[in-house]
Parts: sequence; structure tokens; C-alpha cells
Amino acid sequence: MRLNRRGFFKVVGAAGVAVAGTGQNAGAWHSKAPKDPYGCLVDLTRCIGCRKCEEACNRVNRLPPPELPFDDPTVLDTRRRPTDKAYTVVNRYYTGKLDERSKLVPTFVKIQCMHCQDPACVSACIVGALTKKENGAVHYDVGKCIGCRYCMVACPFEIPAYEYYDPITPRVMKCTFCYERISKQGGLPGCAEICPVEALTFGKRSTLLEVARKRIKQDPARYLDHIYGEKELGGTSWMYISGEPFESVGFRPLPAEPIPRLTETIQHSLFSYLWSPALLFALLGGLMWSTHKKQNTSEKGGES
Amino acid sequence: MMKTLDRARTKRVAALVLLAFALVARTAAPAPAAAKAEKLSPPQGWVAPDRQRAIERAHENVPFVSQVKDECFVCRQQRLRNEGYGIDDITDACFLLDSPIIKKRSDQYMPVRFMHSKHAAALNDCTVCHHLRPADPQGKETSRCVACHRQAFDPRHPDRVGLKAAYHLRCIGCHEQMHKGPVDCLGCHDKNVPDHNRLVELPDHPKPSQVTVECLRCHKRQGREMLKTAHWLWRGNSAYTMGRRKEVQSGKGTNAVNNF
Ligand code: SF4
Ligand code: SF4
Ligand code: SF4
Repeated sequence: MRLNRRGFFKVVGAAGVAVAGTGQNAGAWHSKAPKDPYGCLVDLTRCIGCRKCEEACNRVNRLPPPELPFDDPTVLDTRRRPTDKAYTVVNRYYTGKLDERSKLVPTFVKIQCMHCQDPACVSACIVGALTKKENGAVHYDVGKCIGCRYCMVACPFEIPAYEYYDPITPRVMKCTFCYERISKQGGLPGCAEICPVEALTFGKRSTLLEVARKRIKQDPARYLDHIYGEKELGGTSWMYISGEPFESVGFRPLPAEPIPRLTETIQHSLFSYLWSPALLFALLGGLMWSTHKKQNTSEKGGES
Repeated sequence: MMKTLDRARTKRVAALVLLAFALVARTAAPAPAAAKAEKLSPPQGWVAPDRQRAIERAHENVPFVSQVKDECFVCRQQRLRNEGYGIDDITDACFLLDSPIIKKRSDQYMPVRFMHSKHAAALNDCTVCHHLRPADPQGKETSRCVACHRQAFDPRHPDRVGLKAAYHLRCIGCHEQMHKGPVDCLGCHDKNVPDHNRLVELPDHPKPSQVTVECLRCHKRQGREMLKTAHWLWRGNSAYTMGRRKEVQSGKGTNAVNNF
């Protein structure tokens, strides 16, 4: 039996799934989401694309100055992702909506870390450098980070960025939800504080859901009846309401299931009984033994 | 020859003066109107007569209308009209949209000098902006924005926008809808430029190069950008000069030595 890398993962994966299937009573998965977190409601029908939020974020987080100034309108011509130098970016979408003069109406979308209620990045972090705080922020502790970048792979919104240019002390960079600022009484995230039209509403997540529902109910022609982030992946602290379909402004349709629920269930069932690692090692041992034997025979065959 | 010319000129001037007098004599109103038409921008150092009052008003603390009666725009408009309220009741030409509530959070721009009576006259409908009234059924006045719209994200009124957002949403929303009026920051605001008297450090009689260096101390990016413009290079497209679009080939971009 020849065992290449892919074959190895197949076998291990199959074993894992088999164990997960049998381990129903191995302790059901519990959400670790905070009960009453803060959140932010982004109202895409209000955003005017002024990028003041980017500027404020840059200032309060002491990020390096951008290549092009914040009031340069050409920046919006390219679609951007958050980077290690910009925790949040505003993108412009033309969804085909026209005004009464038949001119295309842009929709502006600010993106940053969603501060998921059950974050995949936290679950993926093997040293606990990322944690979901009681106030809703998904917090990064550079002192614990070993630079494995699992969080970057795990995040369904492709948010965490990495300081690749820095070989000595690289950090994972993502929106902090202005953790220090909002921990203070009356503190606001830099971006929500500056937004001239309150396209970003800061408050308790439960209150924001009510506000969002009220806005949708009071003006059904303006909004779609969907709060993105209410249910997506078990809920996120940052939520969006929009007048344009979310798929057309860069949001992926996502299931209501939190990602850690699946991954942690597999993992935990795998290690829930002592026999499962034992079984795994027995299996691996068996594989090694058989391959080794075959190699030996083929080597012997080569000699004779 | 000289004399006749002079006489002709005196005559013309006299005629003009007479005409002006006649105009002033006939009605008092058209004369300032004519003077206004001549000069579009106010002279240096001019301040609006009601400016001081506008500043004071902007900092007044208006009692908080905690309970407001929701009334549909049309009903409200009708009621105001029935009660005899109209644009004639507006006594202030200018409002300074300034408030400690806004200043507390950010101070990037100068406050807007809002032409209140002009907007009222153009819209002829107070309820476009003043959408709610005091809860008191006897209260006839419209509420000022700041009566309800105060600090943003007030947990007691989570669905109520703050003062800054109330202004911006109403102004920009309406301007966009009517395709009239500015929708960009600098269309309404002046930039809040810090006092350069205190920032600039120069000797008493500076050399031109010293001034340039001092400017570049803070405005490095603008300096870099300037180096790419036609003003600096003396070279490049001149899209509006027919037949001479790429004519100039010598200058700081090519063969000149002066670099200041
Ligand atoms: S958006 Fe990504 S980085 Fe932010 S909390 Fe969720 S999984 Fe983590
Ligand atoms: S919450 Fe703070 S870190 Fe996150 S985008 Fe806003 S300003 Fe930046
Ligand atoms: S500051 Fe507010 S309006 Fe401006 S781009 Fe950001 S979210 Fe949009």
C-alpha cells in the first residue's frame, strides 16, 4: 500500500468523521457568545462614502498614513479589502439602481471585522491570542500570537491581515472594535463617532436589532427585510441593513450555523474518550508497519 | 482739444450722478439692490450683522422636548397655516449650525452658515425640516432641531439620530432629491484650518527658499504632488491650447537648474 500525503489525510479524515458520528453524547457544543454585547449597525442607505470612518480609524489606531489621502475620490474606483494598514475600507458598488434622472446610484459599503458572536478565528487560534470579550469585541493579544495565521484562513469574511513586511515582530492586524475606547464609560468606536450621517449606529446589539427592525418597518420601500449579521454564522456584533440585495454589494450568503459549532464538535468528539487517540495511533502504527514491510520486501526484491 | 474732452467727461459723470440720484430718490429699495448686484462677494473683514446673535443662539441650551407628538407632514403644514404661521415669522436671516454638542466629538470643519429665511422662502413649507412639534397641544411653535437631536447614540432614545447626523441627513438628503445645493463637505463647510500664525516659524525677513522649506515641513505630500504638475515642470499637456498641446519642452522638468 503506497501512502502519499493525500491518502494519509483521507484516512485520518474518515476516522475523524466516524468518531464524530459516534460521539453524539460527547458533550453538545455550547455557544460562548457574550449575553449582552455591544454592536454596530451599518445602514447602507445612509452611507455617503465620505471615508471619514477610514480616516478616524487610522487616527485612533495610529496606523501609518495612506498612500493616497482620505479625501481623494479616485480611491473608490478600486475595490479594496481591509489590510494591515487599514482596518476598515469603504467600497463603492453600482447595483444598477437608477435615480429619477436615469443616473446610476452608488451604494457605499464599509467593511471591517464583523466581531462574530461565535468567531471562527477565535476557535481556530491554538494559543488563545484571539478572544471574544464580554463587550462584544474580538480582541487580539500580540503577546500570545505565534504567527501561525490560522485565524486568517478560518475567518469567513477574510478579515485578518498580517504584517508580512515585518520579519521580527509581525502582528495580525484587524479592526479592534476600538476595544479600549468602548470599554470606557460613554466611549465610542472612532469610526462611529465621526460618521456624519450616523450610517454607523453604536449601541447594545439587542437595542440595535430593535432599531434596525423599526427602521425597516417604518420605511419598507427603503430597506430590504434582512438584517445581515442577525443570524449569519450565529450572529455578528456588526450588522448591516441595506436597500440593495446583499449579494450585489459584496456580502456572501452565509448559513445561520456558527462555524465553530461544526469544527469544534468534530475536534471535541475526537478527543472526548481516551480511546480515540489510542485508536488513531493504532491506526497510524498499522499503516506505518504495513508500508515499512512493503518497502522492505521491495528493497529485498531489488537486491536479488 | 483737451478742454472739449474734459468737458465731455464731466458731462458724462454729471449725468451718471444725476441718474443715481434719481434712482435713489424714486425708491429707497432698488439702490442697495443695484449696489449688491455689482459686488457679489462681501468686502474684506465684513461680518453679517446678525452673526453675533447667530453664535449666541447656536450655543443656547434649548429645553429638551422629551415627548413630541407625531404628526403627518401635511396635517402639520395645514395646522401651521391655519394658525397663521408662515415665512413672515422668520426674523433671522442666518443660522449658525454650530453647537457644543457637535464640537465635543469632532472639529474638522467650520460651522455652516445656514440661510434659514432663504430656505424657508424657497420651500415655503416649514415641515420639510421641522417634522415634529412640542408635545404641548397649546404649543404653537416649531421645535428647534437641537431640542430633540442631541448627543448621538443616546441609550434612552436609540432610534433618534444625533444633531450632527440630523443636519447632514436632512440637508444632503434634500439636496440630492431636489438636485439643488451642495452635497459635498466643502460645499457647505469651510475647513477648520489651524491658525498658521502660531504654526509657522520663520525669521523676520525670510528668504524665499526659507519660506518654501517651512511650508514643506508640514505639507510634504503637497510638495511631492506639486513636483508632478505642469506648473512646476513647465511641460505636459495643455489640453485647451489649440495646436500647442505639447509645445513647451524646456523648464524645470528638463533643463533648468533652479530647484526652489
Ligand atoms: S469577522 Fe473574521 S476576524 Fe472578525 S470575528 Fe469574525 S471570524 Fe474573527
Ligand atoms: S471599530 Fe475602531 S478599529 Fe474597528 S473600524 Fe471602527 S475605528 Fe477602526
Ligand atoms: S463615515 Fe459614515 S458616511 Fe462616511 S463613509 Fe464611513 S460609514 Fe459612510
